[in-house]
Amino acid sequence: MSGHENTGVVRKEDMNIPDEERIEKGPVVIMECVENIPCNPCVAVCSFDAVKMKEITDTPEIDFDTCTGCGLCVTECPGLAIFVIDCSYSEDKCKVTVPYEYLPVPEEGDEVMALDRKGEEVEKAEVTDVRKSGKTYAVTLEVDRKNVWNVRGFEVIG
Amino acid sequence: MTIVVCRCEDVTEEDIVEAIEEGYDELEKLKRHLRLGMGPCQGKTCMLIARRILGRETGKSVDDMDTPTARPPSQPVPFSLLASPEECEEDE
Amino acid sequence: MSEKRIFDHPVLKFDRGQEFYFEFEGKKIKAYEGETIASALYADGLTKFTESKILERPRGFFCAIGKCSSCIMSVNGRPHVRTCVTQAEENMKVERHGARPKFPGIDVGRGKEIKEKEIEIAIIGGGPAGLMAAITAAKLGSEVHLFDEGSNPGGQLIKQTHQFFGSHEEDAGTRGIVIGENLAEEAQKLGVNIHPKTKVLGYYFDRKVAVERKGRFEIYDVGGIVYAGGAIENYLAFENNDFPGVYGAGGVQTLMNEEGIVPGEKVLMVGSGNVGLIVSYQLLQAGVDVAEVIEALPTIGGYQVHASKIRRAGVPIQTSHTIVKAVGEDEVEGAVVHQVDEDWKKVEGTERKIDCDIICLAVGLRPDTSFLRQADCEMEYVAELGGFVPLRTEDMRTTTKGIYVAGDSAGIEEATVAALEGKLAGAALHEELNEEDEETKRLKREAKKGLEQMRKGPYGKVPRLGVKTCTVDEEVCG
Ligand code: SF4
Ligand code: SF4
Ligand code: FES
Ligand code: FES
Repeated sequence: MSGHENTGVVRKEDMNIPDEERIEKGPVVIMECVENIPCNPCVAVCSFDAVKMKEITDTPEIDFDTCTGCGLCVTECPGLAIFVIDCSYSEDKCKVTVPYEYLPVPEEGDEVMALDRKGEEVEKAEVTDVRKSGKTYAVTLEVDRKNVWNVRGFEVIG
Repeated sequence: MTIVVCRCEDVTEEDIVEAIEEGYDELEKLKRHLRLGMGPCQGKTCMLIARRILGRETGKSVDDMDTPTARPPSQPVPFSLLASPEECEEDE
Repeated sequence: MSEKRIFDHPVLKFDRGQEFYFEFEGKKIKAYEGETIASALYADGLTKFTESKILERPRGFFCAIGKCSSCIMSVNGRPHVRTCVTQAEENMKVERHGARPKFPGIDVGRGKEIKEKEIEIAIIGGGPAGLMAAITAAKLGSEVHLFDEGSNPGGQLIKQTHQFFGSHEEDAGTRGIVIGENLAEEAQKLGVNIHPKTKVLGYYFDRKVAVERKGRFEIYDVGGIVYAGGAIENYLAFENNDFPGVYGAGGVQTLMNEEGIVPGEKVLMVGSGNVGLIVSYQLLQAGVDVAEVIEALPTIGGYQVHASKIRRAGVPIQTSHTIVKAVGEDEVEGAVVHQVDEDWKKVEGTERKIDCDIICLAVGLRPDTSFLRQADCEMEYVAELGGFVPLRTEDMRTTTKGIYVAGDSAGIEEATVAALEGKLAGAALHEELNEEDEETKRLKREAKKGLEQMRKGPYGKVPRLGVKTCTVDEEVCG
């Protein structure tokens, strides 16, 4: 068995993701929240009304065309399940914004070790942005285009 | 091999299995025989495991089992809280 | 010995009070104002808190919230003091007494006149359920007294450093710790009489509540009660399960998030429900290594988002795995686990040793109901709610007149549900004691609607079924 029920790791096919065209266009949200849990801050926080839910236990329904990829929701999700990817600005690089609640906190320009959904090392990546809301940081990394679907965390080096 | 069921009164799984074999096949009986659940925590820690063992050994389902009586005080208190060596006196 | 107190933490700040010393078996121990005796001793490196009665095995703390009595010592000559809920004080004399404490002598205290007082509403327990019940009843105009064992109300919310799930209106996205503080403040403002550090000792016929407060025995003759005493952590049977180093997940959480002390260096987490997953994440945040999370069932028990969070940090989650032994001389130095098949039988050849100095048990909670049993409330075993729970009406009234229940004592569910049940019980009790009025009815409706919402969806199915089994008609409740 290899579903997220057994491993805790979601796969691309479990998620509701934007199409290629939208991904090329500009930053966009990726919500890796695939179960019907009673939770909805992502709906409340989005000032563009890009996220909808009929019942609180629904999974978030995202209108990817409305989503601006602003990343506000990244730090509001109690499940730390929201990421933003940006594949619009370069041929071979992409940006991934991940939530972060550990120490130490990296600074812009630092090199960190990008990790995948199992905590395995993927590549060394540069931190291009660090934002804080409450106690949660949203840290943006620049990664290789081929790794944009793998990188979902990082570890500070040294 | 030591598997502790009741931490307060030091009752092991083996003690319980033996007691059940001897015929103490209800929680109230086990309690009186082994002091199971009679320690300072008043069974808060041990009763669940005791139930499971009793179920496994006798085939009883958990909802068919008795629940030992609960009495106050629920926590240890010093004697002086309730009784006085001298006449009662006003404090303060 | 490595430093056990946490100084830098990504989400918590520990404002330690004044530093002082007390005496433990002739040794000076450093403590900070507000720390419990157990915490200060643990931070100093003590793991063996007591020696067991018959087997004479060393024991460590277990629950850290005053439920299990594993931490009892003699304090200033008084034996059987639960050091995990007793604050350290300067020059205090603390000693382990094992199974044979000395008779305290008569100079440790003197019986005082027993105070008896009439009050309208007693709320027992200062967690989310109790606080919401108090707030609601007070808002409606009742005279409310809230009894809580801790020094600050907030219950288990205080150690919840993660943001809350649930609906935005019910404080989701806010950290539990903050919700607890906000609720306590609101209760205070509404004139609720909060009695901290008060132990509820029992129920006496007819609606009398006995408490120990400020060293005296007090009896409250009450109009009605909302019991919100919370939950007890489940214990697990395996070889050497009583070793110091085997701790309840709640105990670890209290030590780490309330007291700012890490339990050890490397933890094996047993149980993958939300508690196991969240505590694992919090351990990582506090800089503690989590070796593995093991789960006896074939699937992860908690939310995927919590599981994914710790997987991203590199922590493996092994389903269909069980622990069989704690390894070590007389405290935890490792654990032996193996895989199980569908019939819970060992899969041969899968046994392996895990290196760890802490085994954290997150194998579920069950309702703490001993007070309700003293009050003759009818109980029923409801597996979906974690064990024996009181029968109750839709309004949370038990089968004993004037006694309501809310929160984990009514069945193990999430904190938001506990708060909503508290709101419902508080309003319903106010209604029972007073004339009917619109506002009370409105609050009851609001709470019921919230509860219905929270119990929707696949994760709501189990509690939904559970609540159905133990909810009875008005008539049955008499
Ligand atoms: S990234 Fe911004 S626009 Fe998109 S869903 Fe999140 S908050 Fe809304
Ligand atoms: S806030 Fe996060 S965990 Fe909650 S529903 Fe939205 S994406 Fe899922
Ligand atoms: S563990 Fe059995 S009475 Fe405390
Ligand atoms: S009562 Fe202190 S550790 Fe449980």
